Amino acid sequence: MEASITLKKVGKLVGDKTILAGLSFGVERGSLVAIVGVNDSGKTTLLKLLSGFENPNYGQVFIHGLDMDKRRQETRKLIGYVPHENDLDPWLTLEQNIRFTSNLYKVSKSTASARILRYADALNLTQNLNELAMNVSHGTQKKTMLVRELVHDPDVLIMDEPTGYMDAESIRLTWDLLKELKGNKTIVYVSNALVEIEQAHDRILVFHEGQILMDGHLDKLLESTLDYHQFQIEFENLSKELYKKLANVATVVSPNRLDNIFHFYGRTRNVFFDVIRTASDELMIDLNVKKLGLRDLLDSEFAGRGLD
Amino acid sequence: MIYALFMRRIWSWKNRLVPSLLLLLTLPVILFVLVGLSLNNIMRNSLSGMPFELWVIPGFIFIISSMGLFPLIYRDFFDLRVHRKVLAHVVLAPYRKRIMICGYLIVSGIEAIILGVISIGIFSAISSFPLSVIQTLFMIVCLSLYLLLLGNFLISMGLLINTVTTFSMISFITFIFILFGNGFIIEFGFFPAGIASFLKWQPISIPFQVFQLFINTNIIDWQMLVYPLVLVLFWVIANTKILKWKLRH
Repeated sequence: MEASITLKKVGKLVGDKTILAGLSFGVERGSLVAIVGVNDSGKTTLLKLLSGFENPNYGQVFIHGLDMDKRRQETRKLIGYVPHENDLDPWLTLEQNIRFTSNLYKVSKSTASARILRYADALNLTQNLNELAMNVSHGTQKKTMLVRELVHDPDVLIMDEPTGYMDAESIRLTWDLLKELKGNKTIVYVSNALVEIEQAHDRILVFHEGQILMDGHLDKLLESTLDYHQFQIEFENLSKELYKKLANVATVVSPNRLDNIFHFYGRTRNVFFDVIRTASDELMIDLNVKKLGLRDLLDSEFAGRGLD
Repeated sequence: MIYALFMRRIWSWKNRLVPSLLLLLTLPVILFVLVGLSLNNIMRNSLSGMPFELWVIPGFIFIISSMGLFPLIYRDFFDLRVHRKVLAHVVLAPYRKRIMICGYLIVSGIEAIILGVISIGIFSAISSFPLSVIQTLFMIVCLSLYLLLLGNFLISMGLLINTVTTFSMISFITFIFILFGNGFIIEFGFFPAGIASFLKWQPISIPFQVFQLFINTNIIDWQMLVYPLVLVLFWVIANTKILKWKLRH
């Protein structure tokens, strides 16, 4: 498949600090790519480089084969950027904010109207269009920012926390729209909503200290953890001695506690029975077993505990 | 670019029509009553013998246009850059930064000129307007050049300053300078020679001096007009660089 975005040894420094270090990767046209990682790992900086908001200190970014530095005007038409913070003009209505962008990008009035109608309807935003941007909720502002970018029909959509501040219904509607757009548009987004990323189920880039730590489909990322399960046992009283005894069970991985809850990982379900046997004299209140997800993978990765 | 920015201004007016109109009508009246009527009793004629009204009414129009320009540039280059990041969104549109600076300057300049023209109407209604049609048209030419200079200065200020307190202090100094440092109300002849000489050559005061020379002698000093015009061009380039630097482009 043809590349939509290509980064070649891209680096970004802020002062003496390296934010991105020699980053190289490509994004296929029409794909939906999530970027995850801990805070200050360079995710937002990467989005700013992709959107043309900032320039790299070295390396090149290509959009549809065009060098962003040399073909600035052409590449900007191809990109829509939805930042994390609200950047709507507070004294204009939501529709005026959207139309301002459509005028900036020279979209005809009729085309803009049709697109506003379509996307505002998809995001249940129509009834808010005549309200001033400063008078609506953050979630509504965020939806407006998405429509504002879609109104000039960019091929590449870059988003920082696409569902930030939104209520449950708005999150569902936004994802329905993004999944509908996927295939026609390349969508790259940063999010900390790991459950949403798991459900979107496309390519995931795990970012750490300005570099890509893992890259692939969710199943591929979780491959190394497929045998693992996460266990939780709530005791009536989890004493220090008991915690020590359970943590020392040979098959228990990455144990920790929260009040009277003993939390641990294990390669097979047998680990659970090893722990139950060790704690057979204690009163247990609740048990919970689940397969590992993205959150567990990231948490164990970045907490430095490591599963293996 | 200009169409988009112009439509945005029309929408802003539409959304706050009543308070904006009230301010628009009040400012010339207040200026005329509190400054014009009182100073008229102190200074009948300028040092060069020009009737006070002929001196001060055009000065008021320059001041009103300056006051109209100030909030527009403050809003776009300071408030909507520092607090709301709207400027950052605009600069992602496919235009050169130089075109953007020019677009903002032209649109805010046109709005400030319209405010000036409306105030001409108000002054005509509450007193006798002392200028002929030709003089009024030439005043608008000089006003446009003045607004381009002042607009560039305000854009530099809006881009370089990041805190409200600093911006407020510098705005106050600028306001005092606009009122008293351009010859709009107080003639340069009233200042000590050294300061008068500095004020005469500071570029923002030149368009008003050229206009006064024209109404006094019917002579247009083209050389004096070219100097601020060249400065406008260089200032736009400088502001383009500042914009790129501030937004790390």
